[in-house]
Amino acid sequence: MLASLLVLAAEEDPAAINPVVPDEIGEIFWGALAFFTLWILMRYWLLPPLMKVREERRAKEIEDLEAAEAARTAAEQVRRDYDTTIAEARTRAAEVLEEARAAAEADRASKVAAAEAEVAAQRQEAMAELEAARAAAIDQMGGDVADLAVTAASKVVDAPLDVASHRGTVQNYVEGNR
Amino acid sequence: MLHALANPSVLLAAEEGGGGVEFPPINLIVKWPHAFGEGQWYGFNKIALISLIAMIVPVLLFWLAGRKASLVPKGVQNVMESSIDFVEQQVVLPAIGPDGMRYLPMLISMFFFIWIGNLFEVIPTAHMPANARMANPLMLAIVAWVMFIGVGLKHHKLGYLKEALFPPGVPKALYILVTPIEFLSTFLIRPFSLAVRLFANMLAGHILLVTFSVLTITLVGASLLVIVGGLSFAMLVAFTGFEFMVAFLQAFIFSLLTAVYIGGALHPAH
Repeated sequence: MLASLLVLAAEEDPAAINPVVPDEIGEIFWGALAFFTLWILMRYWLLPPLMKVREERRAKEIEDLEAAEAARTAAEQVRRDYDTTIAEARTRAAEVLEEARAAAEADRASKVAAAEAEVAAQRQEAMAELEAARAAAIDQMGGDVADLAVTAASKVVDAPLDVASHRGTVQNYVEGNR
Repeated sequence: MLHALANPSVLLAAEEGGGGVEFPPINLIVKWPHAFGEGQWYGFNKIALISLIAMIVPVLLFWLAGRKASLVPKGVQNVMESSIDFVEQQVVLPAIGPDGMRYLPMLISMFFFIWIGNLFEVIPTAHMPANARMANPLMLAIVAWVMFIGVGLKHHKLGYLKEALFPPGVPKALYILVTPIEFLSTFLIRPFSLAVRLFANMLAGHILLVTFSVLTITLVGASLLVIVGGLSFAMLVAFTGFEFMVAFLQAFIFSLLTAVYIGGALHPAH
């Protein structure tokens, strides 16, 4: 529409130009010279350094990303190794603890057994001593009882009795009731 | 306002109108006197100067960026690498694909050449986009046209013309209708529409800014209409901001469409 208006304006005024029609060849010449110069310079001189540095940056980014990935993998491996070491240490600690516990248990059992044996021996010895004392007491008591019984019998019969001859009878009786 | 100051004949045209608003003729706002070579093929005027600046500025920026390019970009290198990323990610890859990277230098050159040429619309004292004249848009459209036809013929030989003129899947009887339409749209209208889109947008913006400049000057001069003049000035500022955006947008659209045409020629089946 603008173009048709301009054409109409040009028709109304013969001195007016038609701006749609390029009437200055010099403008085209200088425009083309400027544009093609820019294009050629851009293609061969201006863009290559920037494109090169962009490529280098892209390569560096990829390289850095790969390095970061490698570092991440290494860190992951270190963490796994650490976890493994910790697990092994825990297992070993449990084993050591178990071994210590077993040794302590064995030591305790042996000491208890030794103590029990010693107590049993002492008890047996004490029992033997007791038995001996009892036997001695019984013997002592048998003689006293015979003497007392013969004395009492002599009092009952009002006649002297021989203690020595009757002591055997009394002692046999006591022995028989033991 | 600066538009008019940049070209005194605009003010003169307003004054000659007897106090009313007199807009300058189109010649006065797009035609520029020659520094040398008037009427010759090497005639050098303001548009030629802007074209050279539109070449020199990106050369300087990219040279500064690439001079001591480091892996960690800073300053101008950062900015220029971002612009490369922008053209790569928003133009080349979506429109052509990874095999379009070989066209990156051309598309970056095209983008910067158009953008900086357009920016002169809003640069004080310049106030003339190079692409508001048909010369550069036409030249760039011819470059795009030659490129996409060349790419198609290089990669698919004459099969490209067959694919372009006889689209697969269309009933054969319809080729009588479709083939002339495809021929016109692909080989004739495409470059023309590409050139006119850029040229017309920039010229329209230029006329808009000139209009509000003239309007502001005229209204501020008339004592009773100072308030309306202020409004006109506000509009001028707003449209200047708008043109700043249009300058970028048109450069992007032109580069993108060129890439789309090249991508279409490279992969005609898509």
